[in-house]
Amino acid sequence: MSSVRHIGMMMAVAATLAACSSDSSERKGLPTVIAGTLKSAIAARRAGKAESTQVTPKMLAETKIAALQVNPERAGGSDFLRRIAQRRDSNGMLNEVWQSSDSAQIFLRNGVLVGTRGVGTDIISSDASAIIRAVDAKGSRRGTRRYVVSDGDNTSETVTFRCAIDNLGQEGIFIVNQSFDTVHLRETCIGGPSGEVSISNDYWVLSQSGLVKKSRQWAGPASGYFEMILLKN
Amino acid sequence: MIRKRTSKITGMAAVLGVTLAPLSTHAQDPAQMFEMRDRPTLNFYGSPGIIDMPSGEALPDGQFTLGVSHFGGITRNTLTFQATPRISASFRYNGIQDWNDDGFGTYRDRSFDVRFLLHRETSSLPALTLGLQDFAGTGIYAGEYVAATKNFTLNRVPGTLKVTGGLGWGRLGSSGAIGAPFGSDRPGFVPGDTGGELGAGQWFRGDVAPFAGVEWQVNNKLGLKAEYSSDAYRPETRRSVFTRKSRFNFGAEYQVSNAIRLGAYYLYGSELGVNVQVQLNPRRPISPLRLPAPRPYDIRPARNANPQTYSADWAASTEAASTAVRDALIPLLEAEGLTLIEARSTARETEVRFSNQRYAARSVAVGRVARAMARVLPASVETFRIVPVENDLAQSTVVFRRADLERLELAPDSTNALLVRTRFQEAAPGLPGSAYNDDLFPDFSWSIGPYLSPSYFDPDEPFRADVGVKLNLRYQPAPGWVIAGELRQQLFGNIGDSTRIAPSALPRVRTDAARYSREGETSLNRLYVSRQWKPREDLYARVTAGYLERMYGGVSAEVLWKPVASRLALGVEANYVKQRDFDQRFGFRDYSVATGHASAYYEFGNGYTGQLDVGRYLAGDVGATLTLEREFSNGWRVGGFFTLTDVSADDFGEGSFDKGIKIEVPLSWFLGKPERRTVGATIRPIQRDGGARLYVPGRLYEQVRSGHRQALEGNWSGVWE
Repeated sequence: MSSVRHIGMMMAVAATLAACSSDSSERKGLPTVIAGTLKSAIAARRAGKAESTQVTPKMLAETKIAALQVNPERAGGSDFLRRIAQRRDSNGMLNEVWQSSDSAQIFLRNGVLVGTRGVGTDIISSDASAIIRAVDAKGSRRGTRRYVVSDGDNTSETVTFRCAIDNLGQEGIFIVNQSFDTVHLRETCIGGPSGEVSISNDYWVLSQSGLVKKSRQWAGPASGYFEMILLKN
Repeated sequence: MIRKRTSKITGMAAVLGVTLAPLSTHAQDPAQMFEMRDRPTLNFYGSPGIIDMPSGEALPDGQFTLGVSHFGGITRNTLTFQATPRISASFRYNGIQDWNDDGFGTYRDRSFDVRFLLHRETSSLPALTLGLQDFAGTGIYAGEYVAATKNFTLNRVPGTLKVTGGLGWGRLGSSGAIGAPFGSDRPGFVPGDTGGELGAGQWFRGDVAPFAGVEWQVNNKLGLKAEYSSDAYRPETRRSVFTRKSRFNFGAEYQVSNAIRLGAYYLYGSELGVNVQVQLNPRRPISPLRLPAPRPYDIRPARNANPQTYSADWAASTEAASTAVRDALIPLLEAEGLTLIEARSTARETEVRFSNQRYAARSVAVGRVARAMARVLPASVETFRIVPVENDLAQSTVVFRRADLERLELAPDSTNALLVRTRFQEAAPGLPGSAYNDDLFPDFSWSIGPYLSPSYFDPDEPFRADVGVKLNLRYQPAPGWVIAGELRQQLFGNIGDSTRIAPSALPRVRTDAARYSREGETSLNRLYVSRQWKPREDLYARVTAGYLERMYGGVSAEVLWKPVASRLALGVEANYVKQRDFDQRFGFRDYSVATGHASAYYEFGNGYTGQLDVGRYLAGDVGATLTLEREFSNGWRVGGFFTLTDVSADDFGEGSFDKGIKIEVPLSWFLGKPERRTVGATIRPIQRDGGARLYVPGRLYEQVRSGHRQALEGNWSGVWE
């Protein structure tokens, strides 16, 4: 037993020894790197889950640029994303990149989430042609949804789902101080590695313009679902 | 949606008075979609099993487990790796208290197991496994078995039931034998034998006995187990280690977290036991890596509409264009933790060579360089040539069409679509006519930090270690040149306390470790100068001289042939070294040796790699080392090696020949942030003087391979991250 204590003491000393070096963060000593990671993990756990932000009419009126409110269900809180890229692909679909305040991104194709970056276990890409066409036509449909999902270690896996898209009918939604006439579409998917993973995405499509005004979409294994509200286009 | 697994009602069900039904499952939360389901639990030997008996199941592919069990004064620590979907291997270190025989108070031993899954469970048939326990030598745990396991769900009770039955030989055939179908001439366990050799002569010989068990997984957390053991524990009971009163064992287990399961048991009618089971999968990082999102590609305007933006005027001369590109890219790469080494550009094509200290996956670095290029290069540049460089060794050239990057960034299946449009080419040794980053050399860096150097399996003290402070200095006067040193000050340690001096029939090339530790409290661990370069586009070379490692100093030269897309690499290394003084300062001892190897490296695909080294070892013995490893794309590596030389088993001593296991884990897997460093260990059951190799800093193969085609493809989605 004395040897166990002895080794324990040696480890403790090794861990508390301050490591330092001549330059860049890449050469930081291991104990420093590990201690930093632990500290931030503990701080994150203590902080708990934040409430999502209620946007006021005044806030909306003062917003001059395109803004997407994202409320991550699992992580809690809200963020307001800026549109940093917008381009039409060869199929005429509008692809957009929205960026958060902490340098994470969401890729939307015609309002459908087809990628994330910087949120962890990101969706690298997604084949969402069925739901995109359904949003376009505001109709029901069946099809395949494919995600390339990062494993969180620079490798990725392709997961395939069979999806049914149902038009749940007209729905009025209320955002800040405005009401909108929408068509509610629900994309229900089953598949994944075990064949038994289920995902369900909801879209509220503006009856007039066909724009996805509000949605609740799956954003990857670690992120869970995001509620997304297009405050200003 | 519901997986069908029907099965017939068995006798066991009748005994329990319940009906058995197909195993059905429910819709799964996507958060858990990559978690391993249907993982078998571990037994006291750290293998899939019941309590002390094995089961017929295999772990999920790649699973890495640690089992620590204790009962009746017997402790077993077992590492198990599911090396392929059907083959697993285990390494075990056990201690048996109150042995008081053969010159040991506590008897400590190492053993290896291997298991083969013969049949995967189907709706009607059980999983079937053949196992060889402690298969190398006349070990105390030597035993062979065939075990079958079938899962059922119960109609009237919650959870699932797992039923196992099997036949055991050797130790597992020592109680309740029913015959000896393959002959009865099984040699017994001989303590103190050099061991280590395959015991093929005894496999499946002697008595065979049946064993059986049930495991009821009541819910996600709780499991109950009961078994009938066929192990008589003769060596232990004969030495009064414990008293065996029954063949039945019982236990309860609790799943504390996804990785950890704890169990408490009542064994052999007399003993209480505990079992700690840890299961990890290298493919499932503890902290998923989060990289800051990259800036989206800047898309060039259509050429028809804006012909003037595609003008080549900016690149009037290669020199002017290269200089402009270099100056624009240096800060952008720096912001990504990358260093631009040189750039060469014409109006249509730009080549960038860079080094990477941040990202373990080279593909991420390549992707970030491509984005930086798309940001600053004029529209006329259509071809990006990106060359990762490791200390003046240009690894490969990744060639992108800029239009592909722009078009595919947000496209479905962008990873595969880009891969088929990317070319991987050899990188020329240098880039004539380039604009060089003049700030790189000379470069000096230093660091101070703690070190821990472990030593395993001393019979008196299974784990010893030295702890201290080390100072590393590194000076690079020019590309490819390194002058580096490491000074160590030991603060605590007990490796030097080891008083056991094992006799050796060979020159003592490695067995004086305790003396090096004792006399080298303040030591010069390494001090050397090295130069590496590429003589040709697929050839790599290195020359190193100085104090190469703590026990040897001298000169070392290596040449490696490795084409960028080849699975095969060939290398030759020649060294002339002298043994250093025990105090590890500047002096040498009398022993010197010419040692070296010809090596062949092969990537079999799916991460399986092999290496064969043939040559002369430190003690002057001649032979070969075979290393087999499984490497995961994220950098996890688990493997084993053995060396056979012209030294006889008797001259080699305990263990008969050199062998061991290697484990390497990338730090980013734990930390969830970009980090190139890894932690790892090479564990040998025992270090002797035969088949011992020199440690040379900066061997070429690993430096080169990380940027070659196989490695880049394994992380290809990283290009978009």
